[in-house]
Amino acid sequence: MFLKRLPALFLNKCNILCPKYQHISYLNSPFVVDIENKKVNYEVTNSIEDWKYIERALAPIVVPIPTPKDKYPSEWKPQGQNLNSKPYFIPRTKNHMLPVYLHISQRGIRRITKVRNIQGDIWLLERHLRDFIQPLDIRPIRSQINEFSGYIRFYGDFVNAIKHWLTKHKF
Amino acid sequence: MSRNTVDKALSMLRSLPRVALNNIRDNPGSKMTQKRGRAQHGGDKHGAGNKGSGQRQNYMRLGYETGNWPFYLRFGYEPYYKGHHLRRQYPPLTLFQLQMMIDTNRVDISKPIDLVSICNTGLFRLFPDQHQFGFNLTEEGADIFQAKINIEVQWASELVISTIERAGGVITTAYYDQHSLQCMINSKKFFERGVPIPKRMIPPKDAIEYYTDPSKRGYLADPEKISHERLVLAQKYGYELPVIEKDSSYEMFLERKDPRQIFYGLHPGWVVNLKDKVILKPQDEELLQYYNS
Repeated sequence: MFLKRLPALFLNKCNILCPKYQHISYLNSPFVVDIENKKVNYEVTNSIEDWKYIERALAPIVVPIPTPKDKYPSEWKPQGQNLNSKPYFIPRTKNHMLPVYLHISQRGIRRITKVRNIQGDIWLLERHLRDFIQPLDIRPIRSQINEFSGYIRFYGDFVNAIKHWLTKHKF
Repeated sequence: MSRNTVDKALSMLRSLPRVALNNIRDNPGSKMTQKRGRAQHGGDKHGAGNKGSGQRQNYMRLGYETGNWPFYLRFGYEPYYKGHHLRRQYPPLTLFQLQMMIDTNRVDISKPIDLVSICNTGLFRLFPDQHQFGFNLTEEGADIFQAKINIEVQWASELVISTIERAGGVITTAYYDQHSLQCMINSKKFFERGVPIPKRMIPPKDAIEYYTDPSKRGYLADPEKISHERLVLAQKYGYELPVIEKDSSYEMFLERKDPRQIFYGLHPGWVVNLKDKVILKPQDEELLQYYNS
């Protein structure tokens, strides 16, 4: 008997708890005094000239593709061509940047540089990067390779050095 | 168990509600409420401890140091940051970041750059409700900046102004009130709301001086004085001022917003319909007067 009554109770409760969703805005609240149906004179235009300004104000739906330029003062460079011959490859991120990141933990004490999205011979890339970084630090470089996820982690802040090496090798 | 019982149990299960977060509860007896003991040793102190304000429940007032001159009264009141929560904030955007956006085509330099185009990159976020009134273009990257741009910022230092002008560009500092900023940070969302574009308000009393100053390239300053100040700054920093009149994009460099305007080319009072691609322009004299004043 009690069990049979439960579903109905549950349904009732649900109706109370979830009323029809209404967007909350001051525009939805009624006026204190009835102002009748006021008509405003509007001119409806579809001029192309005005619409150009609207398109200028709207954000692009996808990240724009960088066009080749003579010089890049910010030292950002597009990815080079014909990288098939190399034993490893790092694709750019959706923002056309190098996937090299700095992770800071333990209240700023531990700094770990992470190179992501590595395809191909990850072990060879790690050796090449290690040879480049080693002169920058007196301690031996500590690193971790995750071949399955395709990332390398270096202990220490080598973000700019690794980015420099990768851009030099046209990645 | 007979077949009948199984069927009954299953049909009961069918009519029961699904187990969900809103209809589960703890197992009976899993939570024990602590009880105050009354026996020979259970009723000793009841957790209040022995002697003092703990036992008598007469705690000292906050900050009282039992006879010392309290710490909170020991020093004078020095309100260095009085009203900091009311002051206008301008979160930084560096010249280096701007150059990077230009190199990667995130902003289009063939058109004037303003807060709308910076927010449209998705690389800069602004929170007007946290008293942020636009961006402050800062000096980092001034040594590498090389783009010819027409930019409108909310705050800029002298070095930033000189860097932009040395590269052959134009800079203006402009004020936007909070309602205008709310429309600018996500223009698509604003147009979809189907409300008229508001008119931009004039700067408050303490900002008027900055935005009418030609040396700060204020948008309310006299254009002739600004061109004079451009020359003065070029002499101060020792560079030859590029002649923008002879530039191929001179028309773009001249493009400025009206002090009442929020978006380039769009007047306050217009309603934009993105679905039908039409613009509704008010014709009532009363409305026109309101939006033009």
